[in-house]
Amino acid sequence: MTILLEAKNLSKHYRLSHGETLRAVSNVSLVVHRGEALALVGESGCGKSTLGRTLIGLGSPSSGDVFFEGERISGLSDRALRRWRPRMQMVFQDSSSTFNPRRTIGETLAEPMRIHGRTGIAERIATLLEQVGLSSSILSRYPHEFSGGQRQRLNIARALMLGPDLLVADEPTSALDVSVQAQIVNLLRDLRNSLGVACVFISHDLAVVRQMADRIAVMYLGRIVEEGDVLAVLDAPAHPYTRALLDAVPRPDRPLPPPLKGDVPSPIHPPQGCAFHTRCPLAQPRCSQERPQLRQVGEGRTVACHYPLL
Amino acid sequence: MGAEALLKLHHLHLELPTGTALLEDVSLTVKRGDALGVVGESGSGKSLTAMSVMGLLPGLKASGSIRFEGRELLGMKDREWRRLRGAGMAMIFQDPMTAFLPVRSIGAQIDEQIRLHEPVSRREARARTVALLGRMGVPDPEAAAKRYPHQLSGGLRQRAMIAMALSCGPALLIADEPTTALDVTVQAQILTLLCEIRDSGAGVMLITHDMGVVAQTCTHVAVVYSGLVVEQGPVAAVMALPLHPYTQALLEAIPPLDGPRPDALPTIPGRPPTPDARPEGCVFAPRCRYVRPDCAVRPALREPEEGRRVACVLYNA
Repeated sequence: MTILLEAKNLSKHYRLSHGETLRAVSNVSLVVHRGEALALVGESGCGKSTLGRTLIGLGSPSSGDVFFEGERISGLSDRALRRWRPRMQMVFQDSSSTFNPRRTIGETLAEPMRIHGRTGIAERIATLLEQVGLSSSILSRYPHEFSGGQRQRLNIARALMLGPDLLVADEPTSALDVSVQAQIVNLLRDLRNSLGVACVFISHDLAVVRQMADRIAVMYLGRIVEEGDVLAVLDAPAHPYTRALLDAVPRPDRPLPPPLKGDVPSPIHPPQGCAFHTRCPLAQPRCSQERPQLRQVGEGRTVACHYPLL
Repeated sequence: MGAEALLKLHHLHLELPTGTALLEDVSLTVKRGDALGVVGESGSGKSLTAMSVMGLLPGLKASGSIRFEGRELLGMKDREWRRLRGAGMAMIFQDPMTAFLPVRSIGAQIDEQIRLHEPVSRREARARTVALLGRMGVPDPEAAAKRYPHQLSGGLRQRAMIAMALSCGPALLIADEPTTALDVTVQAQILTLLCEIRDSGAGVMLITHDMGVVAQTCTHVAVVYSGLVVEQGPVAAVMALPLHPYTQALLEAIPPLDGPRPDALPTIPGRPPTPDARPEGCVFAPRCRYVRPDCAVRPALREPEEGRRVACVLYNA
């Protein structure tokens, strides 16, 4: 598989008013292969959304680089980045706030192609509406006339208008009811298969991720703590945090497990050593002193833990 | 705890001034020491059910009966409602950030509720607030009581919200999507807390869209669809063998967490009807895979097995 997007030692820090620094993403390296779906998973504040945005040039990294097809795209000016924008597009979580309420769906869908000077807009819209399962008769309607599920379909159609190679989808199903969620999960999977578009899914829902992704990267306080094939990782997690996340998913077929203690620590004052040691049921003295580095555990799997479960 | 019903909704019907029915014939029971999960998708009427129990829907016309500790609530005066809310029954909401007043410390808000219902001094009220926060698992409760809502994490705010709800020892706790805004690891903590409250003898009514949450915290479940209860029964039995096609479809639509990965998830075609366009027959019939001619008549809730009820023609004897 050829590498489409690569991030090397990517960090994104925000300076706060009191001279403090919020380390949203710290030293993350990852690759997305052509046509592959990578899931970024973690709890709020773990940096998954910041990472997703930084990957496609929505905000430049504090340090580190992003390469698209081998060319560096981080640190480029907006103007220079424009050439790359059609190749990577974003789908946001809340489809009710990402559409201009005063524009018809037809106008909104046409906009990306107009901006990039493409022709054949009407045909392209018709093709895409069919691909996302909507009829072409809706073009004169306004966003509020659609249900959440339909709007998310339109959201996806808009992101695909320019025929991108990479889609970054930030929680694409979490605002939806479970029956509609299943429809969108299936749609995204079908589109990936038929169009060969690579995806970065940002999600907190492990069951949805398992259904949609090829690989998974689990994040905690701005760092990747475990990465690998999605089925391998979720069937037998190597990091205690992945295990805890998996156990905490409420399921109809099992009882409530004893929960993890405490909250996610603040990314402004992250703990010393392993960031997870304050909540880890298996923490040892070493964990609070020395930060574990990502290392290989088995085929294509890495984990940052002194005492991995594998 | 006895089998006496703490809360009993009987043929509760709720409609807009225009005559559109929002709830049609909702009958539910919550007993002490039980947790009833009311589960459904957006717009199904699950939150309306909770709000009507709290008497928070003054603009709507309600008929039927809501009995709490043997007393009829429908038609009760505002003053009586106010005495009941907080002391008899209390409610927690999805987003504790908007449920707390942002300009007063959470301790002050809990103190106020205690003093509103009971003649105790400020100092006594604060002592109770601190003890409650501690029991809810808030670390350093004395300092936490002095904090403002925005200074607490989402999980701690929800714990404080629950402390406030429990401050006057209500017999019934209504929780409307209490963990939807929380991360999974924090959600598990709050659900554990709700289980402890249930086990201490209070009745709990949990409104949620998540079958997993119901399965892990509730003793009973009622599945609502388009303003009607379509199935109810003990949680273990319903999860093991859902009777109503809608319950079955809801459970199937959850992606699996282990075993083989399906190519496509089972979905429910279409979407729920709006209250003004509810089908005359079975409300789920237009989306149901087993639909047949006799679905054109609205099926009644029947009891095919002891303790289980379902409204579907498949179970008409």
